[in-house]
Amino acid sequence: MTSLQTPPKPTETVAHPTPVVGAAGAAASTGMMRPKARGPGGVSRTQALLAYTLLTVGSLVFLVPFYFVVNGSLKTDAEVQAGDFITPPQSLDDVQWQNYPRALAPDRMNFFPALANTVVITTLSMIGQVISCSLVGYGFARFRFRGRSLLFMVMLSTMMLPAQVTMIPVFVLFRMLGMIDTFWPLVIPMWLASPFFVFMFRQFFAQIPEELVEAARIDGANNWTIYWRLMMPLCGPVIAIVSIYTFLAAWNDFLAPLIYLNSPGNRTLTLALNAFRGQFGNSDAHLMMAAAVVCMLPCVVLFFAAQRYFVESVATSGLKT
Amino acid sequence: MTLARAARLLLGFVALLIVVWSFFDVGYRALARGRMAQERPITLQILHWGNAAEAGVVQKLVERYEQDNPQVRIIRIHTPGGDVEMSNKLKTMLAAGTPPDLFYLPPGLLPEMAQMELIRPIDEYLEQERRSGTAGFLDDYFPIMIDAWKYDVDSQTVGRGKMYGLPKDFTTAGFWVNVDLFKAAGVDVPYGGWTWDQFEAACRRITSLSGTSGFEGRKIYGGFFQLWDATIRNILWTYGGEFFGRRPDGGVDFRNVTLDEPAALEALRMIVRTRINEGIVYNPTGIAQDGGQEFINGNIGCIGPIGRWMVPTYKSITSFNWDFVPIPYKSKEHQASQIYYTAWSMTAGTEHPDESYKLMKFLCGAEGAVMQSELGLAIPPLKSVAYSPAFLSPPGIPPHNAKLFLDAIEYARIPQVPSQAQWRRILEDRITKSLQLGKVTPLENVKEIEAAWLAELNSPLRQRRWPLVRWDLVLAVTAAIVATAVTMLWWRSTREQLGPLDRAQARAGWLFIMPWVLGFLALTLGPMIASLLLSFTSWSAMTTITEARAVGAANYRQLFAADPTFCQSLKVTFYFVALAVPVTQLAALGVALLMNLKLRGITLFRTIYFVPAVISGVVLAVLWLQIFNNDYGVLNEILRPIAHQFGAEPPDWFGRDAARWAIPAFVIMGLWGVGGGMIIYLAGLKGISASLYEAATIDGAGPIRRLWNVTLPMLSPLIFYNLVMGIIGSFQVFTQAYVMTGAGPDNATLFYVLNLFRQAFEFHNMGYASAMAWVLFLIVLAVTILIFRASKNLVYYEGLKT
Repeated sequence: MTSLQTPPKPTETVAHPTPVVGAAGAAASTGMMRPKARGPGGVSRTQALLAYTLLTVGSLVFLVPFYFVVNGSLKTDAEVQAGDFITPPQSLDDVQWQNYPRALAPDRMNFFPALANTVVITTLSMIGQVISCSLVGYGFARFRFRGRSLLFMVMLSTMMLPAQVTMIPVFVLFRMLGMIDTFWPLVIPMWLASPFFVFMFRQFFAQIPEELVEAARIDGANNWTIYWRLMMPLCGPVIAIVSIYTFLAAWNDFLAPLIYLNSPGNRTLTLALNAFRGQFGNSDAHLMMAAAVVCMLPCVVLFFAAQRYFVESVATSGLKT
Repeated sequence: MTLARAARLLLGFVALLIVVWSFFDVGYRALARGRMAQERPITLQILHWGNAAEAGVVQKLVERYEQDNPQVRIIRIHTPGGDVEMSNKLKTMLAAGTPPDLFYLPPGLLPEMAQMELIRPIDEYLEQERRSGTAGFLDDYFPIMIDAWKYDVDSQTVGRGKMYGLPKDFTTAGFWVNVDLFKAAGVDVPYGGWTWDQFEAACRRITSLSGTSGFEGRKIYGGFFQLWDATIRNILWTYGGEFFGRRPDGGVDFRNVTLDEPAALEALRMIVRTRINEGIVYNPTGIAQDGGQEFINGNIGCIGPIGRWMVPTYKSITSFNWDFVPIPYKSKEHQASQIYYTAWSMTAGTEHPDESYKLMKFLCGAEGAVMQSELGLAIPPLKSVAYSPAFLSPPGIPPHNAKLFLDAIEYARIPQVPSQAQWRRILEDRITKSLQLGKVTPLENVKEIEAAWLAELNSPLRQRRWPLVRWDLVLAVTAAIVATAVTMLWWRSTREQLGPLDRAQARAGWLFIMPWVLGFLALTLGPMIASLLLSFTSWSAMTTITEARAVGAANYRQLFAADPTFCQSLKVTFYFVALAVPVTQLAALGVALLMNLKLRGITLFRTIYFVPAVISGVVLAVLWLQIFNNDYGVLNEILRPIAHQFGAEPPDWFGRDAARWAIPAFVIMGLWGVGGGMIIYLAGLKGISASLYEAATIDGAGPIRRLWNVTLPMLSPLIFYNLVMGIIGSFQVFTQAYVMTGAGPDNATLFYVLNLFRQAFEFHNMGYASAMAWVLFLIVLAVTILIFRASKNLVYYEGLKT
């Protein structure tokens, strides 16, 4: 269902029926196989040196904040308050491991209920986005009906609509439905498709050769079977990308939980993290950093586990064509 | 490879376990709640703020009460931060139609809530208590604590009228002193009171300790004041000044701002003199810089005027001796202390008023008061507890002169606050201009504040009595338009000649896109129409929508003609968009070009550059808060030596230089997440056919020509896409500003959406906020159309047709 549970099939499966994907995949793989050739992007020794220097300096810039937050999370309150994130703890005995259990404890962040809430919301969101966006993408890609292109344009143009325009009436709507302080206002919209992901699915489905579908139809498959048995298994990379991006968006969402969730039992991780901001200034910055590390950990792990989908699969899906 | 596979499997398994556990946990808790609801038919929601320790005290009281009252289940909702954040949550809950039964009522909210009839007076219950002879506990309250919760709606005055809550606790104000610094400077600790002249002299002597023996390399300041409305008011009082004048009948005249009278100005000038001109009072300007923290670090002589709530924090100070002294005054007759106080109050919407009153009485009772005072946060409002050892000499808790807090009650005063939430925003947002940033004189500043306040009061949206919206008419017209549109569509579709196969296909197509159609109608189109309609009304969202009033185009007129914050937020947002979009896109493109090079280990670099993009929102804000700190922040540590080379100082990002540098700081934060855009460009680069480059090379094109004539044209659709999405996203910045700066200082980071959020969920002008949302939409639309036009000849779509 989600990328974490059943890793989508590798790109090679889709490479066959879709020429575009094949080209992209080939470009990527030849790139990896011919490091010395001076093709497009091929480089001489001095250029490589320059590039490595640039990349290394950049990497430091990108990694340093992580270092600060992790380092800060292992220091005492006094050290953090004095702004000392730079020097590492002097010895292993100075490492304040207890910051973590203290930050996550029920009287602080109350981590575990918040984690469960966030995971439930995130999982339901991911499933909802994959199912609804693929259904709609399939509808737009493989059926002819009046107003199809108009509707497609309308859908794409809703991407331009700032969320704030609809925020207040949508809030009133969920209030009328009695769904305030439940997860529904956060989950239901995810089951009603979002334009960008629909676009990605549509582009992907549109590339699948008609002969494949015809063959399935002759075998007696109906629209639903074609969608579920033929189309969905082919679009592993798109599913992966949609899942990953939905995961990140749902995991880090702040405004919607802030507005819709009230009871402490319903808090998500971002709300719990925000709760560290004390009444009279940040007197617990070290604990806050520990909590921040725990909150971002799943995102980082997810990235490492799924990075080839991030990096390679964007090419295979939608955006290119 | 197999190892990686195993690791991935393990990870997937762990993830699956977590997901399964989460669903079980959430489900189990839902079941438990359901069972609870059956066993305990009465559910009371209570809302409060406070730090972890105070939350613990309330939790204990709640558990005690639930034990004794098996009928009642209590849901305790706790907001971080102070009363402002709780007020926002309270108002959101009111707007959602799910008001808490009881909540911490801060005095600043009393007039507003009472005027809107959102809180319920408890006079009837007090009358009952009197009749049944159980009202004795009322006599145990300090009289000022009873008066403080009375409010008269007609004369808008605190201290008379109905009673709206039972006092939970209160504190008088004074100064906390670092006794060691006073001794080192040879200044007597002024336990018996002091004048402002003595205060300034003491501060000068303490400040001159900086860098002397025993304080090597340390910057010491004599004192520190917070710039809250309450602390400013208190300082004004001690000079004989006030925020507002009085009417002949003794009521407060909120239209008469008296900040420009000599006594008030003298007080403000003292703050400017000590904070900015002489530098003897600490003047923190950046975010994450905090005078309170500097006091704890032992670098500040005295801090005030604030209350007793610092005790739990100061308890852990071991490096110096600290104590409490009265507030300085201009002359003895002006000696004054503001009282800070909180009550448990009942919302008008509570379904269980009797039960709520009972719980309120328990929460404010002696047991809670003792527990609170052991916490050290405040003074119990019950005389019997206040004069008992529980408060005066609780075991091991300094200060040892706690009685000074009680002595201050003699000259304590109740502040008078207007019922419009905007006053505090206007005052606190703008007063920083003179008192913190030193950009204008206090007199100019005060005039500006007065003008903004009067503009708020005189807004036609407040002044005129607008008619109720005729929702029946509105609905009828909307329904007619929708019906006409649907009929036309249906009529057109019947005229088509379709075969049965086409018809089946069309039906199936519609079925498949149904999720989006439903979402579009319910969550986009419908709400858009609704918000357009709302933008012509005035509605607080705390009443039913039938109470909305039709104001015509008044919201829009007000926005463009008379709302300086609207202009400011537009300016801030445009500045951000104009800076962030090109910089971010250029960086993303540049990094993508680098990442497209065929180098060993490039995937590792890709990973490093992309990882920050997965972090956003609150975590990001929390992280960068520390990095941008002016005093300790790492960024300025690095920039300082470089800047010194050019004889300059690094920018005080969110402080003195905020008008110029706060927005670039947000752009820098955004740059850290450049990996997101990079990935999309990288995907595009991978898709460019190698033959194009080969052909170009054969034609003699160098790397720059290839970039200009092959790469950029082929990428142009993606650049265009990223540009449009970047612009749309940049117009909607919210979380970083909300968490990091809260629009300050001097509204330098008042992003459009933050302003909109405040209008909607803080001031509850839903109509006004809807108008703002539509203006934003039209702006984004116009900009997008402009880009579409401009890009027509620049975007090369051939590259797309593979």
